[in-house]
Amino acid sequence: MKNELDVYRSRDGLSQGELAETVGVSRQTINAIERERYDPSLELAFKLAAQFDCSVADLFDPDIDASE
Amino acid sequence: MTDSPATTRLSKRRTYRRLMYGSVLGGTAVSLLLRYFDYPLVGEAVYWVGLLAFFVIWKGSDVQLMDERDWALERRASLTALQLVVAVAVPGAAALRLLTWLTDYTAPPIVRGAFYGYIGLFIAFGLSYLWHRSRL
Repeated sequence: MKNELDVYRSRDGLSQGELAETVGVSRQTINAIERERYDPSLELAFKLAAQFDCSVADLFDPDIDASE
Repeated sequence: MTDSPATTRLSKRRTYRRLMYGSVLGGTAVSLLLRYFDYPLVGEAVYWVGLLAFFVIWKGSDVQLMDERDWALERRASLTALQLVVAVAVPGAAALRLLTWLTDYTAPPIVRGAFYGYIGLFIAFGLSYLWHRSRL
């Protein structure tokens, strides 16, 4: 799923590891999301949105055509 | 330069995970070696120590060792493994039945044992699926 996670993370000056620690997942999970290899659960998507003080829709774009 | 708490925690997570999987793999390897060198009881003990260490580290560590991506990977791996087993077991079992009916060939016990194992696996999967479905 397309997302702006790396943009928001860079904006806040966080490393992948620091973000991972904050939302309670592994660094590899953050890396996989940023590379669009893994779609996070709804719970994690909300945690990430809360972390960056934005909406889930700001962070993630389902891009339905690409997933078909 | 000092590591941030996040880096320290991630490093601990990596260490614990390596210890967790290493204990099982190491325990199994040493156990096999001991059995090979004719120390079956010690080998069994080492195997169980490795296995128990896995659970102690998993449940006892103060950091979260698995996250949702790990569970997703396990789900995908389980599905792939089941599909592979189906691809081998279904035509394989049919071929063995046909061979038995049409010729006087009888599959060796180890092959029949493997197929019973596959059948048992699918029964366990079916029961587990039904149990989860009743809760979801």
